Amino acid sequence: MAASCAEMEPAAAPRSPGTGELVCARGRNRKAVLCQRCGSRVLLPGAATFARRELFLPSMKKKTALLASSSPDGDVLQDHWLVDDMFSFENIGFTKDVGNIKFLICADCEVGPIGWHCLDDKKSFYIALDRVSHE
Amino acid sequence: MEPGSGLQRRGGGGGAGRELAAGGSPALPSRRRKQPPRPADFKLQVIIIGSRGVGKTSLMERFTDDTFCEACKSTVGVDFKIKTVELRGKKIRLQIWDTAGQERFNSITSAYYRSAKGIILVYDITKKETFEDLPKWMKMIDKYASEDAELLLVGNKLDCEVDREITRQQGEKFAQQITGMRFCEASAKDNFNVDEIFLKLVDDILKKMPLAVMRNELSNSILSLQPEPEIPPELPPPRPHVRCC
Repeated sequence: MAASCAEMEPAAAPRSPGTGELVCARGRNRKAVLCQRCGSRVLLPGAATFARRELFLPSMKKKTALLASSSPDGDVLQDHWLVDDMFSFENIGFTKDVGNIKFLICADCEVGPIGWHCLDDKKSFYIALDRVSHE
Repeated sequence: MEPGSGLQRRGGGGGAGRELAAGGSPALPSRRRKQPPRPADFKLQVIIIGSRGVGKTSLMERFTDDTFCEACKSTVGVDFKIKTVELRGKKIRLQIWDTAGQERFNSITSAYYRSAKGIILVYDITKKETFEDLPKWMKMIDKYASEDAELLLVGNKLDCEVDREITRQQGEKFAQQITGMRFCEASAKDNFNVDEIFLKLVDDILKKMPLAVMRNELSNSILSLQPEPEIPPELPPPRPHVRCC
């Protein structure tokens, strides 16, 4: 707490390689989070906290993969940006419900899913690090 | 639970988690850009309504977007979007609801209307019936929407000028009959007037709103919509309206 936001210091939880430069010591995103495809701004620097959680996101390639939630076509992703208020996003799209999940997509080009929101937890909105770019 | 329900909770202790995410804590010495970014000044809900096929979704996508794609419709579909605009030095978060797929008039839940600060009513200038549907949409607005909601009538598909069935004057005339309703024509396909539509609407909303009400206008929850009724409730037959002679 007393220490200032040291640049490269990893916080307590072990992270995947590469996340160190993205996460500041306070556990927030050091860089802006952008859509990989169109560069739409999803989160400003510091708007989200780093969180680890295993979440399944359907493949970005096939939109049909979203339909069949049983479909294995997708990835279990660990590293996410977490916000507790949807209005923390600069730009984001929400899909219609798939079960009790809403997938998050780029608000501009609609590529996705780039994130995950469960309707049972109104205070958790995840954006997968692997599915966005950082600037 | 519903949008707008957080109205009187500004700055209260209850919403601590939310405030943390958005507002910077003044006690922190951090001067760097890693500090939590400036929260939005205003949060406004905008809904886009209109008959099937008039291009509501395209309008929503086209706003700040340059990847219009006629073929790439998602199978799951977009429920709503958060978009951020800056206007007169203010940062405004729009929550934009596209009601595509719920065009049968009564199937859009009243909650959509109630919490909307801006309503964009769209018709297709190349399809007369979508224009003739407007009175029915107005009826829904009258019934459910807040009286101070800004209304904007949009004649879309200006790129299909050759197939035009509704003149600009007809659109104007319709809008003039309704207090405070603005009118414009647009093309989501050509991105003509689309940004302007949203910015104008936001500007009108801001001008109208007392400052005190503007912050934290919306709750954090997602509207839960009832399933569409399979059979639409009775509707009066459309009256041929404002047919210019």
